[in-house]
Amino acid sequence: MTDSAVAEAINSGELPGRVWIYSNYHCNLACSYCLTESSPRSERRQLTAEQMLTIAIEAKSLGFTGIGVTGGEPLLLPWLPETVAAMAAHLPVLLLTNGTLLGGDRFERAAPFAHPDVAVQISLDSHLPDVNDMARGPDNFEKVVALVPRLIVSGVRVRIATTTAGPLDGPTLEPLRALVRSLGVSDEDHIVRPIVRRGRADERDLGVFAVARDIPSELTIAADGAFWGSFGPSVRAGRLDTDLLLTRTILPLSIPASTLLATLRGLPEGADASLGIR
Amino acid sequence: MGNDVRMSRSQLLDADQAPITTRVYFADGDPGPIVAALATVPELLGPALSFVGAALGPGSVTTRAKELAILRTSVLQGCRYCIHAHTAVALDVGLSTDEIHGLHGDIALEDAFPQVAERALIGWIDALAGATGAIPDDVWIAAREHWPEHALVELTVTVGATMFLNRLATGLELPTSDQVTARLTKEGLA
Repeated sequence: MTDSAVAEAINSGELPGRVWIYSNYHCNLACSYCLTESSPRSERRQLTAEQMLTIAIEAKSLGFTGIGVTGGEPLLLPWLPETVAAMAAHLPVLLLTNGTLLGGDRFERAAPFAHPDVAVQISLDSHLPDVNDMARGPDNFEKVVALVPRLIVSGVRVRIATTTAGPLDGPTLEPLRALVRSLGVSDEDHIVRPIVRRGRADERDLGVFAVARDIPSELTIAADGAFWGSFGPSVRAGRLDTDLLLTRTILPLSIPASTLLATLRGLPEGADASLGIR
Repeated sequence: MGNDVRMSRSQLLDADQAPITTRVYFADGDPGPIVAALATVPELLGPALSFVGAALGPGSVTTRAKELAILRTSVLQGCRYCIHAHTAVALDVGLSTDEIHGLHGDIALEDAFPQVAERALIGWIDALAGATGAIPDDVWIAAREHWPEHALVELTVTVGATMFLNRLATGLELPTSDQVTARLTKEGLA
């Protein structure tokens, strides 16, 4: 598999254009459905700023069209905002965060995100504070609804992600959609997705079962290796899931990228992403 | 031969945790501890098995010569897993109990292997796997009197691949299977 084959597969839509990066696994929260069992006590398993920037540079040269950064909570890494801005010089970056580490005096850390090629995706699971906070932690709702308008006023593009065990569409979501609009986020920037039954969600019997063909085949890089899809590097009972592991080699990025494409082409006919997982 | 069966030092993946690129190796059931261990680094599994399969599998030399090389190397390297596994294979390919005891070092090689050609080959294997540094010319010359050059090259690769497996299995403390243990016990070779 050549590097140009990867670029052609991305151009044709055969391979998704975004590369996901798990910057770290530890988190200041411990959400009930977390794929990676992240918490303040989790092993950090973090990438370096240099690795993340190299991934962005090599991803661009391979023909990828965007970078997603997730964790853990990426903003626990002191150097993360500046690294995101540096990565955005090469490819557009979508940063996933719980938003709780940008409040109060720490808001100035968000300054690098006011960039035309950076978007910040913040989780908000319900229009009801108690319901949201039950899944995500005390005072999460209050912090998020306070942060989002400040970010938007500061010139940061914000997306909201809702992870739910309920319906992905329909009237029951309307109060939440109305709240998100009132915060200044358009419907197209409000993502609603199911809980995937991996990691802590699996232990707690939450969410939908998903196998490789259900999960978008986005190349995903973590300290543990390269995976099929952003749901790949999940952790259950303290142990990394390896079922979606592609390679332990993460750089040069051409190695996991070509392995992903070869694996994708080996899947049965009709394989697609059908659960609305994104 | 010891019978020290312990848990593996590293994780042995099962079919549920087999990485997506390695599932073919798990499709027919338990693939054994070498595959289950190597699958934790999936990009190494295919190339490693291809090499080992070519080096230890059928070739231009007889299966008997290959197995003689594999078992003797494993004994010299002190690899419990490979000694167990390949003592069973040696029985399967027709080595006698005395020959196996000879390779294990329990009886004199001269008694177990009356053919000069096989003793010369064992001399070459011993020089490769039982020592470090340069190999004296006379060992090569003695082997070449009975074996064509390409056969010694092939068997040298077999010894090298076996040493790779020896250190893998020893380092990771791969477990001997229950079936092999039962077989060796039945044959009085445990």
